[in-house]
Amino acid sequence: MSGAILSTSALIAGYERDLPIVRGIDFAVHPGELVAILGPNGAGKSTFVKAIAGTVPTFSGRVMLGGEEITATPLHQRIRAGLAFVPQTENIFASLTVAENLQLAADILPKQLRAARIAKMHKTFPDLASRLNQRAGSLSGGQRQMLAVARALMVEPHVLILDEPSAGLSPKVVASVFAMLREINRSGVSIVLVEQNVKAALAVADRGAILVEGLLRHEGTADELSNDAELGALYLGRHTARSHAS
Amino acid sequence: MIAQTLVDGLISGSMIGLGAIGITLTYSILRFANFAHGDMLSWGAYFAFAVAGALGTFMPGLNESIGPFSFGWSLPLALIASIILTGVLALLIDKILFARLRARGSAAIILVMAGFGAALTIRSLLEFIFTSKPRYFTDALQITQPLIAGARATPDQLLSLGLAVVLVIGVHLILTRTAAGRAMRAVSENQALAGLAGIDVARTIRLVWVFGAGLAAVAGVMSGVLVQIRPFMGHDLLLPLFAAAILGGIGSVPGAMVAGLIVGLSEALCVQFVGAEWRAAVSFLILVAILLLRPQGLFGRSAT
Amino acid sequence: MIELISYGAFFLTLALTYAMMCLGLNVQWGQTGLFNVGIAGFVAIGAYVSALLTTPDDPARFGGLGLPIAVGWIAAAIASAIASGLLGWLTIRLRADYLAIATFGFAVVVQLAALNLQSLTGGPFGIGFIPRPFAELAPNPLLFGLVNLAVLGVVTLAVYAALEHLMRSPWGRVLRAIRENEQAATALGKQAMRFRLQAFGVGGAIMGLGGAMQGHFIGFISPENYVPMLTFQVWAMLIVGGSGNNRGAILGAVLVWAIWAASGAVISAFVPPDQQARAAALKIVMIGVGICAVLLLRPRGILGESRTVSRHIEKAKP
Repeated sequence: MSGAILSTSALIAGYERDLPIVRGIDFAVHPGELVAILGPNGAGKSTFVKAIAGTVPTFSGRVMLGGEEITATPLHQRIRAGLAFVPQTENIFASLTVAENLQLAADILPKQLRAARIAKMHKTFPDLASRLNQRAGSLSGGQRQMLAVARALMVEPHVLILDEPSAGLSPKVVASVFAMLREINRSGVSIVLVEQNVKAALAVADRGAILVEGLLRHEGTADELSNDAELGALYLGRHTARSHAS
Repeated sequence: MIAQTLVDGLISGSMIGLGAIGITLTYSILRFANFAHGDMLSWGAYFAFAVAGALGTFMPGLNESIGPFSFGWSLPLALIASIILTGVLALLIDKILFARLRARGSAAIILVMAGFGAALTIRSLLEFIFTSKPRYFTDALQITQPLIAGARATPDQLLSLGLAVVLVIGVHLILTRTAAGRAMRAVSENQALAGLAGIDVARTIRLVWVFGAGLAAVAGVMSGVLVQIRPFMGHDLLLPLFAAAILGGIGSVPGAMVAGLIVGLSEALCVQFVGAEWRAAVSFLILVAILLLRPQGLFGRSAT
Repeated sequence: MIELISYGAFFLTLALTYAMMCLGLNVQWGQTGLFNVGIAGFVAIGAYVSALLTTPDDPARFGGLGLPIAVGWIAAAIASAIASGLLGWLTIRLRADYLAIATFGFAVVVQLAALNLQSLTGGPFGIGFIPRPFAELAPNPLLFGLVNLAVLGVVTLAVYAALEHLMRSPWGRVLRAIRENEQAATALGKQAMRFRLQAFGVGGAIMGLGGAMQGHFIGFISPENYVPMLTFQVWAMLIVGGSGNNRGAILGAVLVWAIWAASGAVISAFVPPDQQARAAALKIVMIGVGICAVLLLRPRGILGESRTVSRHIEKAKP
């Protein structure tokens, strides 16, 4: 998959070897894209991105980042390679302050870049800048998400992966989170988004990929997927009146 | 007379506190109670004893007492050597034993068992090498100086107390102001997230071992200077160390020191009013009380 | 030849007392996963209770009721059961390693009490003249030794059979379910706690019985016997033999005791007296290393059930 900033090739992954959750996925993200990964519950969306990020073991297949294979790269090296991941839960260090969370992210940067980068984050996330000495565990859901993203962006990654960033957030906050993601994408960071909130996801995405039972079943542009009623009913729960955020 | 008891309690408590800091760090980051920590303390004392002895033999001038203290420059030098050597010992044990068990996903209970076995091994090794005869860093006798309210203390004891205070402040600063310290706290909270944040978790774990071992070495040398050196010295402190670490709240460095002081004071009061033979029971009582009333300890957060 | 048989009987009898303690530990650890680092405490309670009830009168201390041995042994088991129940009730809600620390502390305090409460326990002087089973046969050492072996053998066998039966009973099945399925355990809630407490108590009772048996066989007990080393010995026996498995408990006890006794004999025979303490220390070093090696290389021991042990050895999957 030439030109892809991130790609997987026949990826099989899971928690137990004889029970793979990701059953062979070929997937590619092009530079500057914002791709949404969608699908029913239990399809393996989370496991897929966790395998790319490195927190779930890969059994076979490859993960490539910007032309380099990272399948065997140790977890702590992946962010240095330019791949940042924001998990769905426990994505900040609750016992550390906001400032320490950011400082921690900056610690892996070369010394001369640290201060400038942190200052940049303060500017991008004024809400966090005003709470530097607050314990991260006491932040609201939306603020936590901001902090998690700020942490991930500190290294100016090539690709940012987020696992259900809207989970547990009110609609207003979801909107602001997704607006922020769109801004980040515009600044050149490719984004991969696992989401249950199909509407919000497709509103910002360029492309969507639907996972079903560990396999990539459908791909298409955001418009195509939005307008395909059949797909919507089959996999994206369009018929049932479900509100995802509360 | 109560003043003397309190002073004695503070001094022994500061040693317990130092040892407890090592336990609380390894416990919170490695997620298991290391029964071998007490014996690290013993090894720290013996390493220093051996090095100080060697230094004294080749450069007798180093044995001359510095000022009012009972020891010469051979001791501080030996202490530094001991910190390094005890750190190496800890890394060795981790590499041979604990890391392997961790790698295969062993439950904490297996690690505790292995720690028990390692403790017995290294303790008996000390007995084999040095025999159980008590040893001393120096023959020099110390005169106690008056302190306050009728209490007296030797210059060695006061130095010990001062060193403990300095170390606690130092450890606290390292944990809060340095990248390594932040990394340790991050790994302590969430290993997977720490890895995602770019922290080399394996290296941080090694750092924690060295840190804890170094503190144990200092506590061991202190105990050796103030009391005596014998193979069971660390093992006998194990219960007070654990009591202090849990009382303070696992993961809290200031908590461990404060709790250490409380345990030391309680033991001193027990010796004064109940009898020295019951001293070891004090830690157990404190332990049971805290586990029943407030398992997260004084400075810990409520359990998840 | 006769001496050899005599010694063999002596050795086996002592091994069986350890086997008893091991069986008790197996109930606690193998069946409920509770990590008891205070075995020495329960053994001590059993030994002292039985001794105090059955020894002849001694003006220096309490006791000396001169009751029959069987009464002593039963009382020992009951006393240890109560102690286990109490300690368990205090600590069972704790996470595994807090339980370990608490039981460790408990054993330290029990030994301290035995040492300090001189008017009750004889203090550092211990308790002597503990009646031995079939003492009237004493003049004939060979017969005496064999009869003692027979008595202990019968008791051990009886306990073994009872435990096997217990484990197959409905009570045992519930315990196994709790042990193997954390969620079932949580769903049962307080009920699960009660079952585990019962198992803890049963295990403690058997340990106490083992302590009593040992005391009556040797004839003399003192606080020095009940130190963390004893706890470690019994753990070593269970780990080597195979935790979770009653036969493994007995096998491990005999095997480890054989190694212990044999190395002790070798040291006494070949090492000059002034170096014997050092040699003994080296022996412990090697045994410590051996235990760690077993944990690393074959954690389930010789006969261990792979299922039981695998649950405790491997972390729960994410």
